[in-house]
Amino acid sequence: MRALFAACLAAFGASQAAAADGGFDLLSPQTLMLSGDVRLMGVGGERSWVNDGFGKLRYGGKHDNKEGPFRVLPRVGEANLVWQPRFGWALSGTVSAVAQDKDGMEAGLSEAYLSFKPLAGGPVKFSARAGLMWPPVSLEHSGADWAVAETITPSAINSWIGEEVKVIGFEASLSAKLGEHQLTATAALFDVNDSAGALLAFRGWALHDVKALAFRRQPLPELNEFMEYAQPRFTHPVKEMDGAFLSRLGYYVKLAWQPPLPVRLEVLRYDNRSNPEAYNADMEWGWRTRFGNVGLVADLGPATQIRTQAIRGRALMGYEEQGRIWVDTRFRSAFALVTQRLANGSVSGRIEAFATRNQGGMVVDDDDEKGWAATLGARRTLGAHASVLLEALRVSSRREARQREGLSSRQIQTQLQAALRLHW
Amino acid sequence: MRQLAAAYLLLISASPALGGTLVVRVVDPAGRPVDDAVVTIEPVGRPAKPALRAGPYRVEQRDMVFHPFVSVVPVGAMVAFPNFDATRHHVYSFSPAKRFELKLFARDQSRSVRFDKAGIIAIGCNIHDRMSAFLFVTNNGWAQRAERGTTMFRDAPSGPSKITVWHPFLRTPSSTVSRTLPLGEGSRAETFVVRLRAPPLHGMDGY
Repeated sequence: MRALFAACLAAFGASQAAAADGGFDLLSPQTLMLSGDVRLMGVGGERSWVNDGFGKLRYGGKHDNKEGPFRVLPRVGEANLVWQPRFGWALSGTVSAVAQDKDGMEAGLSEAYLSFKPLAGGPVKFSARAGLMWPPVSLEHSGADWAVAETITPSAINSWIGEEVKVIGFEASLSAKLGEHQLTATAALFDVNDSAGALLAFRGWALHDVKALAFRRQPLPELNEFMEYAQPRFTHPVKEMDGAFLSRLGYYVKLAWQPPLPVRLEVLRYDNRSNPEAYNADMEWGWRTRFGNVGLVADLGPATQIRTQAIRGRALMGYEEQGRIWVDTRFRSAFALVTQRLANGSVSGRIEAFATRNQGGMVVDDDDEKGWAATLGARRTLGAHASVLLEALRVSSRREARQREGLSSRQIQTQLQAALRLHW
Repeated sequence: MRQLAAAYLLLISASPALGGTLVVRVVDPAGRPVDDAVVTIEPVGRPAKPALRAGPYRVEQRDMVFHPFVSVVPVGAMVAFPNFDATRHHVYSFSPAKRFELKLFARDQSRSVRFDKAGIIAIGCNIHDRMSAFLFVTNNGWAQRAERGTTMFRDAPSGPSKITVWHPFLRTPSSTVSRTLPLGEGSRAETFVVRLRAPPLHGMDGY
């Protein structure tokens, strides 16, 4: 009996030693990160898209009224739990679970992927990711919890990526230095982002930090007469719509280049190659959505940086009749964000413009949209675990479809937010 | 007495001729001092004085950054790589003068590497792409890092000497600029104007 016990102890000790040598770290304080924010938000005006309206912001007028006066309310914005186990020195995982304020608390899985980063044998570095993840489009988000870096609200482009463009796929990157130039090429194959584009077509652009979660859905505002029969008032961003998993693969490719200047240029092309005629029992459709995104980061001075992105794309859905498909939404947007780093934080200013134009047969020009937004943000670090952010945002947009709710086509909203971000 | 005089003559003829003080400033085209340049003096046609091992030498990992960014290290020295961060680091280099990798678990784990060949060692962390450092491994005793853009040699050689400035971001093929000067016994100041390329700009990584 004693011999058996001793043998077990020895085996346990050996396995621990082997695990330590092999670099495995499955569950330790180092593998867990908890982050989140509480905020005060002040906004009025039209009902938010989160509450089934046409409002472009996360918050808006009261739920039961169509438009509301300016009010200030405290909110828990979001809580993130990120688990990053290590399986050796080249392989690690990232699992991110989120609880977010969205007309009540909504909780779910945000990302779950494996990362492979072997030590390069020479000048070319290879890395890969596989699983449920965001494509690398946004220049405003960073970290394992995909937090907005300098402001509370991201741009319209990156708000859309956060709320509707998430894939299950396999991505590989090669990075090399050619002379004085640094180049990185990335390519991915994916599925499950079949409904990307539905929000842009039926609701238009929005500015908020709500995230797409697996199995959860995003609400849609009032649709036109025909679409009210052919589409439910919600859309699931992460859902297989057009056949078996991996039966129709989409792809994205990205090239990033830094010349011997303080400038970095990125170009990405995305095509989900979904079947626009596929639909499920709820009448959610597949959307053939393609876009190109160009991004630029440049240092304008020792403590000043500009980040800009421009996107142009097209989302197709439904049957083709008389030479026109039901929904053919052309979308475009661009922003420029300038950040000035300070001793313990930063100040940022962002301007952007966004538009959609419908060329389809069943969703037409009353769902066209044009708008702009201006944002001012300030961030201050309070020690290792906390930071405070302040933000003022003004958005103006025109969308005739608002008349379905008795609102005027043109709406302007001003939103003020103060957030306390915490991080362990 | 004659033996003492002979010994003295032998001593001064064997050692390189010692001159005065040389102050070297490294600035950018706008006149601002450049950090992290390494200045070396090589007397023409004569050997340089040997580098003295004055350790301990270490490159710390602290707050996800290597400290210091540039170090001058004599050939044969042992350099320690202590990890003070709460996360592990996978320190490595592929430089021809020394290829190595160190798997360092979080907090206090340290390993050492001996650098037995002269050359520039570019160091990185395979997990955290932004981390970067350089080791200037040399057997030249007249090699110093220019802190805040200035360095002073109190025992500079006299005679024609090649002064070389190296910086990891210098926009020349060998990352160096040099000039040959007739150094004398007094004090002398030299300014090098260098054009640097920008350090790597990162997109938003970590996701």
